[in-house]
Amino acid sequence: MHEIGVRETVQFAGFTFNWETLCMTWLTMAVVILIAFLATRSLKLVPSGWQMVVELIVNWLHGQIDAMMGKSGRFLAPFIVSLFMFLLVSNWLGLIPTLSSPTNDLNTTLALALIVIVMVHFLGLYKKGMHYVAHFFQPTPVFVVINVIEEIAKPITLSCRLFGNILAGEILIIVLLKLMPIWMPIPAVCWLAFSIFIGGVQAVIFTMLSMAYLANAVKEEEES
Amino acid sequence: MIDLNATFFAQILNFLILVAILRALCYKPVVRMIKAREDKIAESLAKADSDVAEAESLKKDYQAQLAEAREKAQAIVDKAEKVAASNRETSLQDTKREIEQMKKAAQAEIQRDRERAADQLKKEIVALSLLAAGKVVEKNMEASENEALVGDFIDKLDKDKIGDLSC
Repeated sequence: MHEIGVRETVQFAGFTFNWETLCMTWLTMAVVILIAFLATRSLKLVPSGWQMVVELIVNWLHGQIDAMMGKSGRFLAPFIVSLFMFLLVSNWLGLIPTLSSPTNDLNTTLALALIVIVMVHFLGLYKKGMHYVAHFFQPTPVFVVINVIEEIAKPITLSCRLFGNILAGEILIIVLLKLMPIWMPIPAVCWLAFSIFIGGVQAVIFTMLSMAYLANAVKEEEES
Repeated sequence: MIDLNATFFAQILNFLILVAILRALCYKPVVRMIKAREDKIAESLAKADSDVAEAESLKKDYQAQLAEAREKAQAIVDKAEKVAASNRETSLQDTKREIEQMKKAAQAEIQRDRERAADQLKKEIVALSLLAAGKVVEKNMEASENEALVGDFIDKLDKDKIGDLSC
């Protein structure tokens, strides 16, 4: 992002694409796939090194999913771990000079949020059928208004929270670098460290909230 | 800055592709590996259990065999002791019998000797008596008459006195 708020666009088949976002997304994907490939390149029955880390993550994720959704949620594990990896790498990618985060574009965050929300409703309908529709009308049918607003708010808050955090972080880095003379980069470095923290936190929040939403749709009803 | 356009759809596609790739490349092998390890551990545990059971049965077997062998050895020792005891008993009996026989033989010998001695003594007494009587009645009596007379006398004497002599 060379000038704040201005994006390069390309026209393809009559559609407009944000070229930089696409390139950065592909770069992020490449990095994530490379990490995944390197980590699982030589799996052995007796684990060592990276394999232990990967297995630790997978086991932890399985534990989280079992606790939140029950065993039936296990099939979502690859989706969730991909989401987390993608968000983490893309949030941190923007901190490297001349690169930018794919998540500083609302198109990306909204796309992810909508995938999650569509999955939530689709899985809810698939697993529970009309019972899932009925729960929007509880405790009284009047509540349907509030429930619908809540459901619409979910993707918007999910996407805007991530988008705002990452974009603000990058803008501030640019601003700080422009404000401060080149020989006094301490505030920029401090902000960079903070941005690393924010990037991780936002990735965790997005993933956790997605899991919570998905858990609502997937887990078996205890109260019924 | 907030301009939604076709990038949105491209990002959906991108992310779904990423999920598909990661699922195939990373997640599945890891889960398969974890599952394989769990299976192997369960199998090893089961095998260890069966091994322990087998060892237990083997041990029982050996103990039984050992006890049996000990019993057999005890039986052999008992039998040997019994045989030795019976051998000793028979040899003791034999010896006793032999001693008894020897004693009997000796007693018979003694009896015979005594009888012979008594016989001889009797004869000598007869001879002496005859001699004495002959000298006494030389003058008035026939020798043959005297001899019969004295023999009778000695016979009576023999029955009454000499038979009871302890010699």
